[in-house]
Amino acid sequence: MISSLSTRLLVSVGVLLLVFFGVTIVVLEVAFRDAGEQAQQDILDSQIMALLAAAEPDEAGELVMPPDLPEPRYGTPGSGLYAELRDAAKQAVWQSRSAIGMRLPRPAAGEPGEQRLSRLTLEDGTPVMTSTLAVSWEFANGELKPYTFHVTESLDSLNAQIAAYRRQLFGWFSVLALLMLFAISLAMRSVLRPLRQIESEIESIEAGKRQALSDDFPTELKGVARNMNLLIGSERGRAERYRHTLDNLAHSLKTPLAAMQAVLEEKTPEGSQEKLTAQLERMNDIVRYQLRKPAKLIVEGIGLPPVAIRSELQRLADGLSKVYRDKSPEIRISVSDDAEFRGDRGDFMELAGNLLDNACKWCKKEISVEVSSIANDAQRKGIALVVSDDGNGVPAELADQLLERGMRLDESAPGHGIGLAVVREIAASYDGNITVANAELGGARFTATLYTAAN
Amino acid sequence: MRLLLIEDDETLRESLAGQLVEAGFGVEKAKDGREGLYFAQEYPIDLAIVDLGLPEMPGLDVIRQVRSEGKTYPILILTARDRWQDKVDGLEAGADDYVVKPFHFEEISARVNALLRRSGGWASSVLTAGPVQLDTARQDLKVNDQSIELTSYEYRIIEHLMMRAGEVISKSELTDRLYDQDFERDSNVIEVFIGRLRKKLDPDNTIKPIETLRGRGYRFALERNQAE
Repeated sequence: MISSLSTRLLVSVGVLLLVFFGVTIVVLEVAFRDAGEQAQQDILDSQIMALLAAAEPDEAGELVMPPDLPEPRYGTPGSGLYAELRDAAKQAVWQSRSAIGMRLPRPAAGEPGEQRLSRLTLEDGTPVMTSTLAVSWEFANGELKPYTFHVTESLDSLNAQIAAYRRQLFGWFSVLALLMLFAISLAMRSVLRPLRQIESEIESIEAGKRQALSDDFPTELKGVARNMNLLIGSERGRAERYRHTLDNLAHSLKTPLAAMQAVLEEKTPEGSQEKLTAQLERMNDIVRYQLRKPAKLIVEGIGLPPVAIRSELQRLADGLSKVYRDKSPEIRISVSDDAEFRGDRGDFMELAGNLLDNACKWCKKEISVEVSSIANDAQRKGIALVVSDDGNGVPAELADQLLERGMRLDESAPGHGIGLAVVREIAASYDGNITVANAELGGARFTATLYTAAN
Repeated sequence: MRLLLIEDDETLRESLAGQLVEAGFGVEKAKDGREGLYFAQEYPIDLAIVDLGLPEMPGLDVIRQVRSEGKTYPILILTARDRWQDKVDGLEAGADDYVVKPFHFEEISARVNALLRRSGGWASSVLTAGPVQLDTARQDLKVNDQSIELTSYEYRIIEHLMMRAGEVISKSELTDRLYDQDFERDSNVIEVFIGRLRKKLDPDNTIKPIETLRGRGYRFALERNQAE
């Protein structure tokens, strides 16, 4: 894996350029070669026509060529342009002077009037193009004799031109590619500068020289910088809250400690055991309450994964069915599909667990748990968790007191009266609340609302 | 009834074990997870009380291991962690109930009794067999809807017999239930208590609730009336 963004970009651009230019070079070369060969054919055609025009019948009733032809290359041996005239027996009746000492290839001639083009090689391997024209010559006496004109031209010069053209293409494209890579790396520098800036700002935050990231970043990075600042803020808030909680805990434990000390120093130890026990209970309550307080410390805007509401409720229901096996309560769970809670999983478990436990404690047999999606006036999305049972219900005048910490309506049921207070606190920390009413099932119906990030 | 108590804090372990013995249970004590697992695998145990935060091997692992070996006796978790996530984890690992530290001994003994009653096959806390009805929560015995006064020793014996109604309970097991372990044992005392119970439950000798099996022990002979 290449680690640097700019190296990555340069490598991928380089590969792209290579492929792109490679294909371009091939295409251009093919086009150039096609054009060259077409031109070559035209030349051969006109040469054939010129030979045809120069041919004259002699007295012996044969075709002959004049000794000097207008094209000077016929006169120079090995010039690359060769001509031949053959009779019906395929014997050369005339050969241009340039072809002296050479055996020219003899492609088959076609029907009279037909012109053929063939690519061949000479004995020494030189590639050539040969144009062949078969004619039927009508002499003055009316006799018809078949002849074939051959014009052969070496392709050496065309190939040399193509090679030169290719070299030029390579040269220009290499220069172009280098220029482009250079320009891109220059552009990269300016594009990546904000990233370098973020990096150095984070370093100075780590070193304690900055409080947050600045906000002069390009649009694409503004979101990153903002979320980063939220995260830093929430981390800082979290640390402060932890310190605050610890502080609270330590201080609230001091009062019962002082009371116990006072009891121990009393001269008359009468009833001291009860007094100590009462203080111990108080300390226990304080510790429990602090441990189960909501964990919601994440600031708005940074999403948590949604809690798997249905399966977490099922786990709680399974666990509680074990604990309350004697009663074996029937717990019906229904969760609407659009209900989503992006908050702390522990908070959700605590809230649902306490309400369900409570329902199990008071129900006769049936419990219903419903979760639906809600939105409040500020258009914030949330969930409503409704837990109802078929127990004896809650008298209206006691409903509010029930949610107060430490309050228990029936002292005989197990529990420390902290559960519902914790539920209330968790709901409040998610800007929701908890209400009690009478359920259709006959017992109590607790409704807790929780809101998470803005919609 | 033999209980296994796995708890690493010595003060808590000894104090709890002492109270359990006083309440008539035989108690095996283990000070860490490894030792606890060994006892749990090798000893005949009716119920285990497991602390979750243990040295050597976490309590949850001990519970999983015990359950994976097919042991079905009830397990009661003792934990300082009382968030629902932790409770659910424990119950899913195979425990049957939990008690959160700190606790009153009455909480433990109530849970232990309820778990033992359930593992004895009783679904409700009121055990009913023929005309005999024992409310284990209120410690109240009725025959034909008439309350019967019992001493606490008599109550322990009838509770033990009824909880495992149909099974033969040896004299020595009943003696264990009555006395602290170091107490002088005298099996004649059991015979005396059984005699008294028979008189109280069945003055006319018509329902014959307790059967004597010579040389083997006693059996609560009435058919259970299960609510469900």
